[in-house]
Amino acid sequence: MNTTTRRVAAGALALALMAAGCGRDAGTASEQARDVTTGSVTGEVTVWAMGEEGKALGAFVKDFEAANPGVRVNVTAIGWDVAHDKITAAIAGNATPDVSMIGSTWSGELAKTGALEPTPGNLVDKAAFFPGAWQTVDVNGTAYGVPWYVETRVLYYRTDQAAKAGVQPPKTWEELTAFARALKEKGGAEDGFQQSYTLGASWQEVLPLIWQAGGEIAEDGAYTFDTLEAVAALRQYETLFEQKLAPTDIPEGAFPQTFIKGEVGGFFSGPWMIGVLNNDGGPAFKDKFDVAPYPKGPVSATSFVGGADMAVFKQAKNRDAAWKFVQWLSEPEVQAKWYTTVKALPAVQEAWRQPELTADKQLAVFGEQLKDAKTPPPFPTWEQVAKVLEAELEKLARGRSTPEQTAKAIQAQADTIGTGL
Amino acid sequence: MSRTRRQHAVVHLGLAVGLALVAGPFLWTALSSLKPEREIRRDPPTFWPETWTLGNFVELFERVSIGTAFANSMLIALVLVATNLLFCSMVGYAFAKLSFRGKNVAFGLVLVQLAIPAIVVMMPQFVLIAKLGMVNTFIGIILPTVVTPLGVFMMRQFISDLPDELIDAARVDGAREFRIFFTIILPLCGPPLATLGLITFLGSWNNFLWPAVVAQSESVYTLPVALNILNGHETTHYNLLVAGSVVVIAPILLLFVFLQRFFIQGIATTGLK
Repeated sequence: MNTTTRRVAAGALALALMAAGCGRDAGTASEQARDVTTGSVTGEVTVWAMGEEGKALGAFVKDFEAANPGVRVNVTAIGWDVAHDKITAAIAGNATPDVSMIGSTWSGELAKTGALEPTPGNLVDKAAFFPGAWQTVDVNGTAYGVPWYVETRVLYYRTDQAAKAGVQPPKTWEELTAFARALKEKGGAEDGFQQSYTLGASWQEVLPLIWQAGGEIAEDGAYTFDTLEAVAALRQYETLFEQKLAPTDIPEGAFPQTFIKGEVGGFFSGPWMIGVLNNDGGPAFKDKFDVAPYPKGPVSATSFVGGADMAVFKQAKNRDAAWKFVQWLSEPEVQAKWYTTVKALPAVQEAWRQPELTADKQLAVFGEQLKDAKTPPPFPTWEQVAKVLEAELEKLARGRSTPEQTAKAIQAQADTIGTGL
Repeated sequence: MSRTRRQHAVVHLGLAVGLALVAGPFLWTALSSLKPEREIRRDPPTFWPETWTLGNFVELFERVSIGTAFANSMLIALVLVATNLLFCSMVGYAFAKLSFRGKNVAFGLVLVQLAIPAIVVMMPQFVLIAKLGMVNTFIGIILPTVVTPLGVFMMRQFISDLPDELIDAARVDGAREFRIFFTIILPLCGPPLATLGLITFLGSWNNFLWPAVVAQSESVYTLPVALNILNGHETTHYNLLVAGSVVVIAPILLLFVFLQRFFIQGIATTGLK
């Protein structure tokens, strides 16, 4: 997947959309949600969903159709690479479906176009979801859509190397550095710890650290990167590189093979890596790695929460059935069944008490971590700012700038870009 | 004698290296499509499959409606080839051999369009297509490129070089413009038409963003759009992607093998790269 080209294309399209969408009333914070009647619904509901989820959802909706005779759910699977462009184009051309899956950082941007309908107040109970998950649909106090599934980042480590080095998974930032050193010097992980520093994902390494230091990415409608907390986070990020405990000279794409071969002994990533490692590592690798919650920073052990939401468009031809379908997807039993279908983690807390999810010990680590996980602010410019972060983080990782300089540089560029709201 | 043989050997060696550089990646892709996923992602990678499998193709055909997407891609590409051959040569003929008011300005506009990247006009184009009610239709995918500035430019350049006497003679004999175009000009345009046909086919076959945005149901998806579904957000199934790539590339390769003579000739005669 090529994130860079996708972002460039997305940027160009966003500009075009702004031009094409002039005169559309911008969604304001005071927008009122209308209640919805979901008693008995009929007719057709068109739904867009991305990637494997989209393919699987087509068959999954049979249960909903059986429970609601007269309703037909038409799912179109769309590729992740094109999803953002396709949705923004559909909005500009007034050719939206009734419901669409949206990326967890898109709600701000899409809500601003005025095309998304605020979530009806009588549809779901927001307390049922993980707070971080609900944050992904919340734009200045108004919810647009409902969280569908989530992912969060935890520590992956080689159990065999940790045992050899005689160390336990770290509980604090200081312990993490010691842990990485032990894996490298005694455990046999010659490159130490995998910490990403190139374009693509490095910002996701640093956001949790900022929250763990007690900082925020944005406050009072502005980005806040030049803070003491952010500098502390950047220093923690830099430490592993500076002490040669994290490599900056392995080619992109070498990971996760480097972890399977034992060249690096640990990394932070999301739940999909379990599948990747079990697949690429083969059956014998299963017992060689485990997961653990994030080590605690000065204030907390907050992780990053991502995933996807379900949004309903104002132009929906079948509003009641659309919202009822979204509501159905957030029922605990349905969420648990969806987990067994595509391994997508439930956004609804109650679903984690279903038998499908309580059996797996590694999964429980994610469930626990989700209670303390946050999402980037829902600003339309977030993707642009993330790009800035990645560029500056690479300089920091390569020792070409200090944490203080990095924080200032990010802040200056983020100020220029603005929040877009 | 031995000297020429040695020269031949050097030339052949050079060609072999070039061939390996050009064909190597394709061959590797084709071979990789016959490996299990774990072998594809292994480091160091293998060139020749250790384990042979058709599983990737089986899974690909189960997951994606390849048949429909293949047929859609083919239909769209063939229609576009037909319309481009006809319309581009007609417009090119007008620019090359007819005189009418505003001709230079009009041709200037064609050249300007050559310089505008497709992505810039995509959004307004989509809004237009949407207002015409053509979202999620083949016609919506086809319409914006039924005649392309590149094609018009190519045909105009070629037809300009045809002698005016041919046309004058036909006029004297009482032939109308359509008659002249179809019976005199078009039969002489073989090489550039073959090139234009190939370029159009390739462009349409590989086009991703526009069909991906216009097609809103899987029955209208083209091959690249359908294959894109396999691209995960955080993980990628390389086995399915290489198998899909083989399905996409195979027809193009065949086309190239059959038409390469025209292709080279066409490029040589129209001075295009």
